[in-house]
Amino acid sequence: MTSAADERSVALSELGLDKQNKASLGRLLATGNLAYAEEGPDGRMRGRVRIPPDELAWDPSILVMPHGGDLELEIINDDTNTHCAHLPSNGDNKWMWLPVYSRGEVTLNLDGPGYYWFSSNIGNDEGRGLIGALVVLGDAPEEARLDRPEQPRP
Amino acid sequence: MPEYVETRPVNFSELSAVAGSAPAVAENVTYDRILRAREEPHNWLTYYGAYDGQRYSPLDQINADNIRRLVPAWVFQFGAAGLHAGPSTYAFEAAPIVVDGVMYVSGWDGWVWALNARNGETLWVYKHAVPFDTSLCCGNVNRGVAVANGKVFVVTLNAHLLALDATTGKAVWDSTYGDVRAGESATVAPLVVKNLVIVGSSGGEFGVRGHLDAFDMDTGERAWRLYTVPKPGEPGADTWPAEGEAWARGGGNTWVTSSFDPETNLLYVGTGNPGPDFDGEIRPGDNLYTDSVIAVDVDSGQLRWHYQCTPHDLWDYDSTMECILFDQGDQKLLAHFDKNGYCFILDRTNGQLVRVFPFGERITWGEITADGKVTPKIYPEKEGDPVHFWPGPAGAKEWTHASYSPRTELFYVPVQDVGAEVTRRRRQFKESIPYWGASVVVDAADMAGFLKAFDAQGNEAWRWEASWPLSASTLVTGGDVVFVGEPAGEFNAFHARTGEQLWRFQTGSGHHSSPTTYSVDGRQFVAVPVGWGAWVEGFAPGMLGGQHGDALFAFALPEE
Repeated sequence: MTSAADERSVALSELGLDKQNKASLGRLLATGNLAYAEEGPDGRMRGRVRIPPDELAWDPSILVMPHGGDLELEIINDDTNTHCAHLPSNGDNKWMWLPVYSRGEVTLNLDGPGYYWFSSNIGNDEGRGLIGALVVLGDAPEEARLDRPEQPRP
Repeated sequence: MPEYVETRPVNFSELSAVAGSAPAVAENVTYDRILRAREEPHNWLTYYGAYDGQRYSPLDQINADNIRRLVPAWVFQFGAAGLHAGPSTYAFEAAPIVVDGVMYVSGWDGWVWALNARNGETLWVYKHAVPFDTSLCCGNVNRGVAVANGKVFVVTLNAHLLALDATTGKAVWDSTYGDVRAGESATVAPLVVKNLVIVGSSGGEFGVRGHLDAFDMDTGERAWRLYTVPKPGEPGADTWPAEGEAWARGGGNTWVTSSFDPETNLLYVGTGNPGPDFDGEIRPGDNLYTDSVIAVDVDSGQLRWHYQCTPHDLWDYDSTMECILFDQGDQKLLAHFDKNGYCFILDRTNGQLVRVFPFGERITWGEITADGKVTPKIYPEKEGDPVHFWPGPAGAKEWTHASYSPRTELFYVPVQDVGAEVTRRRRQFKESIPYWGASVVVDAADMAGFLKAFDAQGNEAWRWEASWPLSASTLVTGGDVVFVGEPAGEFNAFHARTGEQLWRFQTGSGHHSSPTTYSVDGRQFVAVPVGWGAWVEGFAPGMLGGQHGDALFAFALPEE
């Protein structure tokens, strides 16, 4: 049996794959919410992710940036357990503790297009659900593209 | 609701023993020094050790008489945190660069490290964030860095060229030179010549148009770009169909580092397979300048001459691998050991064929006569009809490099003897989707590998048979020792004149890299990255389950 895309979240919820210790042991990756980063007049992007209580998931678990560049990200831990954030950024990965009821801000620089994973890299937070995606839209800069007629894409 | 605890981010490498800076030894690495790299054998200043591509070092402290005492001096390991692209295919492929006691080496997934070459201490770390979904035909790999004028140059899988401050590892400039939405990527070790950083593109399995680029070393501005497949109306365009856009998807990528001759002022560049790899009906003609050795004026980026090793390729026989420059009498020559199993000796002043001879073991795809005439024999022709040929698409020798000793006047060639069954399967071209035009199954049994020594006449001086295809570069030294690693982890040393095996060490993971040698305070080291991965299903599928890893071993004689 397969389900249509719009039925997927319902089926995941009915099965309990979007919760801790129900269908499986942890929460299936990338079953959380999706949100867009907001772009300011300076071109910098801003977003927020939080860890809701007892969910072991980033909310949103997919954050979409309209293009490559700097992302100012606020991270909140509303869970009653300690986690951390391990995030991709050009130069060096960024890392911060997320003690119980904590918040912090981090600036990431990502090229895109493409997507990047971030996680809480302690214990098996990653396997239990605390892996999220940063999706960067857009194209390679004009000067980097091939000199050829426009080609078909999938 | 309690008030939130405020928390602050740190750079991840700060939570480690990384020192954070390196001595400013790269400040004085100039074009002039790289030109005379072999005059300072304690360093390995450029990808091949010198512009001639010989992978030869005059160092002789470690020699055929004492090498049995060789032991690991230190080991660098890294591993992974979090998810990264190609988690099953990452490999440690680099050729470590060494400048006055500091080693600069790149890894998979955007990692670059500066290490203390004496003891392996990590001096600084750079990490480029690489999209998880980058199109990669052959794994998450990078073949190394270039160092000059206080900077470290490296490409990223998402086709950026970076200049890093050699003392801190911080980015100085960042230029994008490929289109990841078209399926382009970058894996090549840059080459610095004069004030230029030379890099090539990857993506030949995705129907891109190959190119070679040069960037200003100080500013990151692009100085020139040479496409390796001509547009309609340009010289060579008549080797592509006049109608349609086969040329625009024609491949010819340049994903291995060039060699350079200051007298001719030419870069010697190998180009990759045409696209689609196996479906030649799409692209009737010779398909210039794919599968060729091309000579490029380094100042202008103009093509001066070409020699095509496999016209109208139907076997995925890239010619990207090294061009070794050497002289015999008054002849200025170039040796190129091609995937198709033949070695081409060319006059490097004009591209004329001097000699061609087979070096591969089983060669059934076709034949090349002594005058260079190519006769295909077995090739995918009819849709759905499987054919089997040797060597398979990974070639009789992969990109990993041969070496040449001016002492013995022998070439040392890592040979793969692996066949494949290929069935033509036409597919529609779409950007970023693999564009092979075939179903391919490489033999996982009945395979072999060899280290073979040849003179420039094509005479085989000696051979050593390995249990597996040899998929790692060789290194030869003034101590008359040849080094090469194996897929099962052994790192071996042989007598350069006789082929006698002198020493071996099990490193725990397969070799798909380029060992280098250097010395610090008079002590010679041999450095080899190990970490089995990349296109294993292509060059040694019988070792697809081999141990992964990511270590760099530095071997030396015991200290007195």
